[in-house]
Amino acid sequence: MNTIRHKIAHWTLKRPWLSLLLALAVTAFFAVGAARVEVRTIFSDLFPETHPFVQTFRDHANFGNPLTVTIMLQRTDGKDIFAADTMEKIWNLSRDIDLTPGVDHDQVVSIATEKARYTVLTADGIFSNPVMDDHPPATPEELEEVRRRIGESPAVRSFLVSGDQTAAVINATFIERLVDYRQVFEAVQALSSKYSDGQHRIHVAGWPMLTGWIYHFGEDTPKIFAVTLGLMFVFLFAAMRNLAGVVTPLVVSLVSAVWGFGFVGWIHQPVEPLLMVVPLLLIARSFSHCVQATERYYEILLEVGDRRKAAEMSLAMMFAPGTLGIFTDVCGLLLVGIAPIPAMERFALFTGFWAMCLVPTSVLLTPVILSLLPAPGNLRSLVGEGGGGQKAGLVQRGLHGLLSAAGWLSTGGRARFTAAAFLAMTGYSIWMMFQLQVGNPVEGSNLLRHDAEFNTAVRQINRNFPGSMTLEVVFEGKEGRIVRQSDTLQTMQQLQRCLEGKAHPPRATLSFADYAPEANRLFNGGHPKWLPLDRNDAAASAASGALMLGSSPNAYLHIADFQQKNATVSLWYSDNRQATVDAALADARSCIGEVGEDHKTFRIRLATGSIALQQSVNETVDLYQWYILAGLNLAIGIGCSLAYRSVAAALILLLPVNLANAMLTAFMAFFGMGLDVNSLPILAIGIGVGIDYGIYLLSRICEEFKDAQHYGKAIQAALTTCGKAILFTAVLMTIGIAPWYFLSELKFLADMGLLLVIVMSINTVLALVLVPLLIYLFKPRFVSAEHHFLSESVDGWLDTHRLEQKTQS
Amino acid sequence: MHLLKYDFNYSRRAFLAKAGTLAGAGVLAPLWPLIARGADIGKAYPDELISIEAWTKGKIKTGDVITAANVDVVKDLLTPIAYRQIKEMGRRIRIVATTRDVSRLFPHDYFEATLRNAGKASFGADGNVYAPNGERWIGGNPFPDAKTPVEAYANLTLSWGRHNNAVYAVKDWDIGPDGKVNYQYDFVWFEENTCGRLGPGGAFGAYTGDGHKDKLRYQTVMFTGPSDVRGTAYLNTWYYDQRKFPELVGYVPAFKRVRKFPTNQRFEPLAPGLTFYLSDAWAAGDPMLIWGNYKLVERRPMLGAVSHNQVDDPNWELATHGGPEGKTFFEYDVELIPECLVVDAEPVGFPRAPLGRKRAWIDARNMMYIGYHTYDRRGELFKSFEPAYGLYEKKGVKDLTGKHTTWSWTSVMTHDIQNNRMSRFVQAKQIAGGYKSARNVEGMYEKYLTEQALGRMGA
Repeated sequence: MNTIRHKIAHWTLKRPWLSLLLALAVTAFFAVGAARVEVRTIFSDLFPETHPFVQTFRDHANFGNPLTVTIMLQRTDGKDIFAADTMEKIWNLSRDIDLTPGVDHDQVVSIATEKARYTVLTADGIFSNPVMDDHPPATPEELEEVRRRIGESPAVRSFLVSGDQTAAVINATFIERLVDYRQVFEAVQALSSKYSDGQHRIHVAGWPMLTGWIYHFGEDTPKIFAVTLGLMFVFLFAAMRNLAGVVTPLVVSLVSAVWGFGFVGWIHQPVEPLLMVVPLLLIARSFSHCVQATERYYEILLEVGDRRKAAEMSLAMMFAPGTLGIFTDVCGLLLVGIAPIPAMERFALFTGFWAMCLVPTSVLLTPVILSLLPAPGNLRSLVGEGGGGQKAGLVQRGLHGLLSAAGWLSTGGRARFTAAAFLAMTGYSIWMMFQLQVGNPVEGSNLLRHDAEFNTAVRQINRNFPGSMTLEVVFEGKEGRIVRQSDTLQTMQQLQRCLEGKAHPPRATLSFADYAPEANRLFNGGHPKWLPLDRNDAAASAASGALMLGSSPNAYLHIADFQQKNATVSLWYSDNRQATVDAALADARSCIGEVGEDHKTFRIRLATGSIALQQSVNETVDLYQWYILAGLNLAIGIGCSLAYRSVAAALILLLPVNLANAMLTAFMAFFGMGLDVNSLPILAIGIGVGIDYGIYLLSRICEEFKDAQHYGKAIQAALTTCGKAILFTAVLMTIGIAPWYFLSELKFLADMGLLLVIVMSINTVLALVLVPLLIYLFKPRFVSAEHHFLSESVDGWLDTHRLEQKTQS
Repeated sequence: MHLLKYDFNYSRRAFLAKAGTLAGAGVLAPLWPLIARGADIGKAYPDELISIEAWTKGKIKTGDVITAANVDVVKDLLTPIAYRQIKEMGRRIRIVATTRDVSRLFPHDYFEATLRNAGKASFGADGNVYAPNGERWIGGNPFPDAKTPVEAYANLTLSWGRHNNAVYAVKDWDIGPDGKVNYQYDFVWFEENTCGRLGPGGAFGAYTGDGHKDKLRYQTVMFTGPSDVRGTAYLNTWYYDQRKFPELVGYVPAFKRVRKFPTNQRFEPLAPGLTFYLSDAWAAGDPMLIWGNYKLVERRPMLGAVSHNQVDDPNWELATHGGPEGKTFFEYDVELIPECLVVDAEPVGFPRAPLGRKRAWIDARNMMYIGYHTYDRRGELFKSFEPAYGLYEKKGVKDLTGKHTTWSWTSVMTHDIQNNRMSRFVQAKQIAGGYKSARNVEGMYEKYLTEQALGRMGA
């Protein structure tokens, strides 16, 4: 017994207290790091950084209003907003939002602020006055006057008051350096409550609010964690009913969690709250590895009677399959980082390291703790042997029945029928896979549920105003202030005209070129014939200069940056379904082709805005899912081939997990779910983590085959022992993850929870039925081989131990 | 051995004792009688208020440079934004000796008028300042030894530049948060007082007719560069009645059109990129009675750039440093000002003001502000106005106003601390368009301060 794993087992268990102390010291080190962990969402990190649209977004982050909160005040009693109480609310809301921390005081815009103006031309000059005077209109005459002024101001009429005049918006933009999304969210929610009543409803949208909602719902995470951990603990306790069986998984999982969080704390990487379901999966995985090892420890303990010896033997036995299982987990989690999405890269690093920590914690520490805790009194019951007056528990008997059924399906004459059923399922799943759409377009955010307050607000605002779903075509300046150049304004106008003439035009377009002609008209006396600008820089500069007279560039940040070196053409679309997005992008590309992409002083870049960012994610997910799948199959295939010294073994393990993946995809297609960033990690986890079951079972079949020398019997024996642990941990994991679907208001987390449960359930069934089936049908040679890394049992060791005991007695 | 006559906290206790009283400037003795006698202000203040070395117990000496490393020693002597600039943004300032001859802190004629007319000003029932015969003010600081916050603000408001009129040729740089220059402007600022005038012509000069007698001043800003704004101009016509908003018109040369602005539009920049509003000019950019709830918060010593800030650059442009690109701040020489009035006011006449209040630190010696902050409606710091002043003399070369060395502002830094944007500008000798800085220019009204003049200049 001089293999590495035996030596590791020996040294680990030689002085168990020392091993425990060492583990605690490392834990203390990571605990310091864990205290520094920052849990926060970085929105821009959810987008693929290498995608050209995201690069455009990063270069021109101010376009598309990422820091603007839009508050829509709507009358719900059928009247319009020109009522004293509504006007007072708009006035007060506009003043109160200016009190929110981090707001840019120059960028609060509503019909109540001085930014909303109407213009009057007289012989004395041009009078440009606020729509509202120094107080909210209260008398019928004042209300009618405000209605008239709004009618005379095209920009106010289009963007600040709804077409049916039942709603008005207040836009407030925040300073990125100063904004605290939680504070903004709380302040705006308070305003929303304060100004809502029986006749008025308030809807609030905008990225700062979305972030606020994420944090708000994210605050439920500890509660959901508590519920799921509690359920897992109850299940564990019900199954184990002994101190060692309950305490060991808890301690080991806690230690691995401290290591995982400590690592990201030390490397100063924030943890993405949207992915918090995965740490729970890792806790469940830790439980799973621990339970597998505990089960094996109990079996050996029953045989040898000595805790330290049993722990050492179980460690030597479980080290290889445990490590291989964790290796595949690590592969699955790390390979998520292939997708060039920073949040996913951080997620991969965090969870990949945590998974790696399961080797020293779940694999090594578990037998150490078990050896130090008293042996359970219900040992025979736990290992399923009813002797000694102990009867197997209800859970144990249930599991045994299920596993016997799996063995019955995968062996004997039934195997051919089971194989046929699998073939049919495979065919159907592959066919359904091709029906899967990419992306889950929603009005608002896919991170939240359809009926979430935020998404409802976005829908309502989109219904009453041009909306918030924009495609931004960026005019990137090379030299000078391009909005003061004729070529820029002319090209913008041509581009807008081209797009508006397409079969599926945007519902609204806006650019600096829309404002400049109006200034030209007004300063030339007001006649509409002065709307068109002369085609020279002097005219463009004059119109732009007139527009900016007495204004801050902040007032135009949505269409031109502060220095006015870059600008955008904003395009609003009625929805963001894939067909709409595809048509919009095709039209944009075609129109850019017509007006020319590269000009002397600027170039036109596609694109930023919510529609472009959504597309960037979809395209990246669609592409990288294949890279991740290929990478995983390659890495795990090589690892398993080496471990079992058999390519066939790797194929037998990979086939079920890939089929599970296909079935998951079919499930998503069947229920109309699209592939998106929410489901991307599931693919990798489904394979990397799902394959564990197969590895444990396959290793056990190999072991049992040595005694039985019969495939059917070896499979049956493996299923009723190792299969039990697999089924047990599958149930445990389901308990740990399923509640997220029901309890989390964050659709991202709920979707991940649901899909993880589904893929892990499919993996369980396939591991318990398809892996034995394939072994039974193909009877691969590696099962009977003596030399693969995982096949070495402790039988010889046990025999030696028995001999020693006999000699002593 | 040097025996301290007063213990170290004497001045602090003295300032505290004056709080809430109608006491004038001076700690050991009233300041203004001393100034009137031409005496050294050392008799009005203990060592610790006129010597930085004494104040800091030897930690800082005249000639030392204040940086992030030692700014905490003088934190109490700086405005909050100046402290943050030095502590966090790489700004530095150099300490010079305290000016003990107060006449060096005024234009000569204005100083004489201040002494001559001391005690003659009073507030009318309408809240405005009047001379003894009920006429508009007759020149100099109406309240040289201001005891109330409104008196202090009257000193700032009634004469901005402290000359009959002035042409300020201004070069401006607007720096973004990245430390780069986002905008650069040349503009010329004309201001002409219609009352309180000094020298020949009497207190009202030619401004006694019906069209002028209800006015306080005329003031024009015209941009001369870069080319896309050249000729763009604004004319501000101030009423003497400080309850009335000034008239504001703009002129766009490309269209040869005048645009009338709402009179209460005081919180917008004149041109893209500028961080300051009309309301911020001279810390008193609005008629003083449109603001209210004036409060004298305290009297305290401060560091201010009130002397030695004329540079030997041929165009009077200051060197820069600090910020991400080394361009954000001007080099300032600051001295320990023994006594500043700290005055708060609220924009009660502006229903839509983005501000909650403003605070000015006013040098008790010449009643000129040395620092000015605005706060948003939540009470958070918003913007800072920090001017530098001095006599225009350097290495024996003097710029004269009449027969006397010119005293004026030399530069201003205005910092929007929330957006972290800085506008800094100098009073240059000459700017694009050939305009030169000057004072007491003949015929200024007709040339520069009417709507017709705007059109003519922009042509």
